[in-house]
Amino acid sequence: MRNWQRIFGSCCSALVVACGARQDAAPPGSVITVRDAWARSADSGAMTAVYFTLANTGEISDTLAAVASPDAELTEMHISTQHGGMMHMSPVTSLPVPAVDSVMFRPLGAHVMLTRVRKPLAVGDSVSLHLTFVSGQAVEVRAGVRQP
Amino acid sequence: MRGSRFFPLVSATLLACGEPIRGVVMDDPEPAPALTLTAFDGTRFALENEKGKLVLLYFGYTHCPDVCPTTMGDWARAKRALGERAERVRFVFVSMDPDRDTPELALGYARQFDAAFLGLSGTTEEIEALKKAWSIAAYPEGDPRSRDYTVAHPAHTFVVDRQGRLRVLFPPGVRGEELAADLRKLL
Repeated sequence: MRNWQRIFGSCCSALVVACGARQDAAPPGSVITVRDAWARSADSGAMTAVYFTLANTGEISDTLAAVASPDAELTEMHISTQHGGMMHMSPVTSLPVPAVDSVMFRPLGAHVMLTRVRKPLAVGDSVSLHLTFVSGQAVEVRAGVRQP
Repeated sequence: MRGSRFFPLVSATLLACGEPIRGVVMDDPEPAPALTLTAFDGTRFALENEKGKLVLLYFGYTHCPDVCPTTMGDWARAKRALGERAERVRFVFVSMDPDRDTPELALGYARQFDAAFLGLSGTTEEIEALKKAWSIAAYPEGDPRSRDYTVAHPAHTFVVDRQGRLRVLFPPGVRGEELAADLRKLL
């Protein structure tokens, strides 16, 4: 599937160039989309986590370099790990998103941690995230709030 | 390495015939250590008084944004799946972060997930004594000067059987329905 997508993408690119399309109309090297975004409910001032899937349908890898949210005082990427019978959580400064691939932020793994959320987050609410990639792409995300 | 010393004492075995339990089952379960703390509502929880019930214990902290709420959510789904049989199971969250987690916070946190869940905290001295008795570790990580530190804590759900013996350690990630299926084997 991925090879097929690569071949198809290459053919499309070649066709666009052959038809004399403007250079700035060519698809970017990485194309990031976000799906299945959700956040845990939380009381005002609490910590919570946001999860989603990043898909890169482009032909060049990219890297998530920064996360921000107006809904919390502090927004960071973190990853939960287990070793020696212990759970640990560590900040992550960047996360690669390979070409024609996807990366899941999910419970017990990578997540965006919101520290001291500015308002109660109840089911039906949503939080905003701003994701910035090394390529320069910026993606706005609205994550619906679910039960803990 | 700091961690639970229970792990060398156990092996992943089948508890009985049929599907294996998803956790680590003690070959020769021993009486669980004591655990006595006062809840925010004033009730005194003593593990020794819970014989006849299964007791699930999780040693976490309320500021935990990922693993603890994931585990508590799976507990809640397991409790719903158990239906009336859940009356024979106690679900107890114990904070490993006494500096931030008051008994009120711990109880409120646990009840977010199910009104029947119990959330406990204690003084620093009580929690340190508990960690020693249970041979578990928990310690702050990150900048200790920040109020936003995280806490390394035991990964597993500890299950004390109806005879008061430490019987199973469930790893994080066992889904609610799977947990319910395994708890039925222990009831």
